[in-house]
Amino acid sequence: MLFNSIDFAIFLPIVFILYWFLTNKNLKLQNLLIVASSYIFYGWWDWRFLSLIIFSTIVDYLVGIGLAKQENKSKRKILLWTSILVNLGFLGFFKYYNFFLDNFITTFSFFGAEINANSLNIILPVGISFYTFQTLSYSIDIYKQKLEPTKDFIAFAAFVSFFPQLVAGPIERATNLLPQFYKKRHFDYSNSVDGMRQILWGLFKKIVIADNCAVYANQIFNNSEYLNGSTLVIGAIFFTFQIYGDFSGYTDIAIGVSRLFGFDLTQNFKFPYFSRDIAEFWRRWHISLSTWFRDYLYIPLGGSRGSTWMKVRNTFIIFIVSGFWHGANWTFIFWGILNAIYFIPLLLTKKNRNNLETVAQGKLIPSFKEFSFMLLTFGLTMFAWIFFRSENIGHAISYISEILSLSLFEIPKFTGKSSALTIIFLIGCFLFVEWQGREGRYAISDIGQKWNRTLRWIFYSLIIFAIGMFMPSVESPFIYFQF
Amino acid sequence: MKNFISNTVLFLLFLSIFYSTFLIIWVHYAPSRFKPNIIYNMGSYGFMYSRLSEIKNYENTNILFLGSSHAYRGFDTRIFLDKGLKSFNLGSSSQTPLQTKVLLKRYLERLNPKLVIYEVYPETFTIDGVESSLDIIANDKNDLHSIEMALKINNIKIYNTLIYCFTRDLLGLDNSFSVPKIIGNEKYISGGYVEKELSFYKASEFEKKEISLRDYQLVSFLEIVKMIKNKNIELIFVYAPIPKVNYQRYSNNHYFDSVMSTYSKFYNFNEIIDLNDSLHFFDSHHLNQNGVKIFNNKLIELLDINKSRTNNK
Repeated sequence: MLFNSIDFAIFLPIVFILYWFLTNKNLKLQNLLIVASSYIFYGWWDWRFLSLIIFSTIVDYLVGIGLAKQENKSKRKILLWTSILVNLGFLGFFKYYNFFLDNFITTFSFFGAEINANSLNIILPVGISFYTFQTLSYSIDIYKQKLEPTKDFIAFAAFVSFFPQLVAGPIERATNLLPQFYKKRHFDYSNSVDGMRQILWGLFKKIVIADNCAVYANQIFNNSEYLNGSTLVIGAIFFTFQIYGDFSGYTDIAIGVSRLFGFDLTQNFKFPYFSRDIAEFWRRWHISLSTWFRDYLYIPLGGSRGSTWMKVRNTFIIFIVSGFWHGANWTFIFWGILNAIYFIPLLLTKKNRNNLETVAQGKLIPSFKEFSFMLLTFGLTMFAWIFFRSENIGHAISYISEILSLSLFEIPKFTGKSSALTIIFLIGCFLFVEWQGREGRYAISDIGQKWNRTLRWIFYSLIIFAIGMFMPSVESPFIYFQF
Repeated sequence: MKNFISNTVLFLLFLSIFYSTFLIIWVHYAPSRFKPNIIYNMGSYGFMYSRLSEIKNYENTNILFLGSSHAYRGFDTRIFLDKGLKSFNLGSSSQTPLQTKVLLKRYLERLNPKLVIYEVYPETFTIDGVESSLDIIANDKNDLHSIEMALKINNIKIYNTLIYCFTRDLLGLDNSFSVPKIIGNEKYISGGYVEKELSFYKASEFEKKEISLRDYQLVSFLEIVKMIKNKNIELIFVYAPIPKVNYQRYSNNHYFDSVMSTYSKFYNFNEIIDLNDSLHFFDSHHLNQNGVKIFNNKLIELLDINKSRTNNK
């Protein structure tokens, strides 16, 4: 079920009413309702893959209990590896089987050996990378004795499948989300209203910004061989805003919906395109994934301690794995490598923690220096997104080669150029609002708080009007569903 | 919780008033590039406004024509009147079964025809029907059938145009609107037909394609058949002539013929009469007046042979 669909617009109020009016007196029943609605939400796409979630839930639940009872180190290790193998096994099969097989065959044929093996027609279960990481963190945290295992299976199933964040995150840690299922939830008016506001802004980002940018980004990337350099730059800019609007829009809706049910999810985006360097960008982009890799991969590898070589190695590993997490394609790996290359100079010169505060805090506009660094970081990020969006490495290289040719100075040529100007205008308005609200949890969280109700409602109605006036005719799925 | 629900309901009320009002302002004052999701063309291409204005004064016809532009540019009501057959042409641009159903629900009772000739063109079964819905919503009074149609197509352009038109009707805007009988080289003929100044088509190649019918259009189509047959009205499906280059692009014409002939009498005029692509058409879809005469006379001849009820007046 898509957040931006009529199905969800019907589903959400029904679950909301059942949750607060029918099951509110019984915590177990409320959690059970969450599990049932989450399974319906997921099964709407393909009910067959519910079995994976259920299996993963049972395995990690039992592993958790087993880890608590077991004191023998090697047996504890076996239990942990069971969880890791099951979760990564699913992920590996559904997401990476064909990738490894194809590369295996290519490598052997390079050395003259012919191998006959057929790729499988595998459907990638939506959200598998998200929920497997979430359950993995549960087992690892128990293994490391940072967390007590739960005995409440329903609460645990609700934690794994919680529908607002099931298919595209934020990837929640058990330490944050699971305890929320143990406590009785009380309806909080201002929290719910704030949640609705966040949903509204998420929908605007997704429908108005991302989906409209997608029209041009797709057109330009899919026909890049016929287009000049300046057009390709525009395509990259459109994709840069598409992916941000799409993913952070999803996150805003997920967080907003959770708040309607009395849950507080991790902030996943903090206005990343206003970052002054790549390190800051990565503290602000897909925070739940970055911190997951930091805590479960980077730090166990030694982090930024040790020799220069170790720091470089660890940085490369974390970025490559992060790229590979996004998809079974060399383009994602290159995207990761590129980001590591951007990041390493900052790490080695110890400048990676220079920009911890929000840019131009308390000021109306940034200084020239801040603006220049923001622009540079935006440019670097946009350049890396070209790899992320391209079909394959060859496509990315030819795309970039054309940008670096003299055709960069030609006039852009693509279908619907005048409508694209409208979208650029909308992006301008969007950036203005995001800039104004960059110190809040989301862009419009503080806007209009001191206005009277009529003015505030006019503001929200204008956002809804913009959605109605500029939404593309065809609803598009969220990009991160494929990961 | 009570506060939250009551404020949400209040906000939704506020929003509906704001949205409709702002839409009126937006339609009139915003530059066209900022209005991608409202297509409001009253009295647009195809003379739908004139047709729907005239139908309100029409009663008890012999024949009702339905269908796409192939219908309102293909069935000349004057030719039928010359043979003593009073007819009305309710065709509209890209009319799909979904819109045909709405028009029938609104006007079948009033027109009370003895025979319905429904022009069926494969493309109208494969498209979503947005264009035709917008045409009908902008040019007719709207009712629950319009909402049903909008929900079925589920397109934001239709929702916006429908909201706009409801507000327009409520406020009585555009009440004094009128359309001239002649626009450019096209002339509206009483009874719903549109005559175009004689011109000729220069044929070009078409890409091959397969006919694949959309589920919800088929459902509406079957409802139309049922509605007409329940009223004991004779129903004939007609596949109006199109240039051979266009007709032959479809690799499975027989499939379409067999579907149509399952539900009622069906004439595929592309197989019945032999027309010349250049001499009898003015574009890749439509007959010119020379072609219309041949087509209509042949149709009347077939109706006579088959002794359709229209002739037993």
